[in-house]
Amino acid sequence: MIERWALVSGLKGDLDTYELIQKDLKKTPGNITLFVLGDMIGPEKNCNRLLHRLINPKSNDLQPWCIYGWWEEQILLESGYRGDQRAEALRINKGEEVVKSLNNAVDKSFLDWIAALQFGFVELDCGLIHGSSKDVGENLTLDTPPLTLLDRLTRLQVNRLFTARSKQQFHLELTEGIVNSEVEDLNGNRKKEQKVPQKAVIGIGAGKNYTLYDVGTDNTQFVQAGYKTEKRIKGFGRL
Amino acid sequence: MNQAVISCLHANLPAVEAVLKDIELQGITNITCLGDLVGYGPQPNEVIELIRDKKIPTCQGCWDEDVVDGLDACDCSYPSQLAEKRGHFAHQWTTDKLTKENKDYLANLPYSIRKDKCLFVHGSPNSQHEYLLPDMDAFAALERVENARAEILFCGHTHQPYIRELADGSIAVKIKNAVPKDTQEKEIQLPMRRIVNAGSVGEPRHGGTKATYVVHNDVTNKVKIREVEYDIELTCKAIIDAGLPPIFAWRLKNGFEFAEQAEDASHVCER
Repeated sequence: MIERWALVSGLKGDLDTYELIQKDLKKTPGNITLFVLGDMIGPEKNCNRLLHRLINPKSNDLQPWCIYGWWEEQILLESGYRGDQRAEALRINKGEEVVKSLNNAVDKSFLDWIAALQFGFVELDCGLIHGSSKDVGENLTLDTPPLTLLDRLTRLQVNRLFTARSKQQFHLELTEGIVNSEVEDLNGNRKKEQKVPQKAVIGIGAGKNYTLYDVGTDNTQFVQAGYKTEKRIKGFGRL
Repeated sequence: MNQAVISCLHANLPAVEAVLKDIELQGITNITCLGDLVGYGPQPNEVIELIRDKKIPTCQGCWDEDVVDGLDACDCSYPSQLAEKRGHFAHQWTTDKLTKENKDYLANLPYSIRKDKCLFVHGSPNSQHEYLLPDMDAFAALERVENARAEILFCGHTHQPYIRELADGSIAVKIKNAVPKDTQEKEIQLPMRRIVNAGSVGEPRHGGTKATYVVHNDVTNKVKIREVEYDIELTCKAIIDAGLPPIFAWRLKNGFEFAEQAEDASHVCER
């Protein structure tokens, strides 16, 4: 049986989209594991129904494996789960109204569940995170310098990094690289040539745009929930 | 013009005085200090006042930060529970000993100092607690310098002096599933960058007993590691007299590598 991961993020309380994705995945061949890489909540709409569904999946739902994202971090900050810090970056950038909207969008009874979520998962040689291994709020995109991408991969000691924060969908491979290092210390000089092993950073998208990853072939497929379902289920190539 | 860079003074007054004398004998007046003025050693106020009197630009080190803000280094900064216990004792001793004026001075030190193409930090541009060890992953090391927009990164914290040049680098990337094209490939050339670790004046961990610092010539761009002898017995006696853990004196006198250093050098304390 083909093993596939469905990687979803940025639902921001949108239960309809989540149900659409669940419906899609039921029709997708293979043994599928569903990962929700954060931003399940947001200030735009009430998130309680989605959170309830994630915590209590319906009997025919794929079990979602969730981590926290940038919006979860903001509500945890604002609710005192991160010590004395509050969501000041959100307050400064989006204003007090958005902070209030976020607080109103999530019932307090869900906060302990959100606080127990992990920063990320490491599955096989892959890191699954919301932002980057440096910061939940860091955007990794096609324009991020490769040296930075390599560093974020190295920090998690993984060969593939799945990221959601940028909302973009991309699959960037670091195919080869080299750097010469020369160290002089009190014991003398030593030279070393270091090469880049093949690695990749994958942007999984947000909301209706999600990603299917074929674990066996290392292929990604960027999908829009509910779009061209019939064509997609025929194979794993590009739409 | 030559500039001297000193780091990790650790309240060891005889060592600091000897190094400043060595710098003066070379006619160097441009000095930068990378922090950790206090911790482990017996003369925290005296060392701070000497640096203040000489108006030496200084970054805040991890000990300087911890003494002001309270301990925020997690257990991983120590190789054992015993070492951690000793470190916490020294932290409390130093906190009790420091004058309010000197604490305020430490509290207001900057995290980094930038001079033209040179950036001066205690640990790394990311954190005062991050160790940039001489043989760490070369790409990660290059990333620290490049993302800090520097050509030369001066750091301390490891107590091991070194000069590392990272050159002739490149990374090739391929975009899969790109729209509209299926595949895009490109190769990015990486710039040549250097990391210079100044070692430690007050608590050397390079295997010897001499204090170390570095001299950089901004015309030739050459860097030299300097080793300076100082009156170790004087510091050791002061450590014992102050009631600090005797092992602090033992390791200064014997010059063994006995670092209170994280086993995972890439770890950044998040606490």
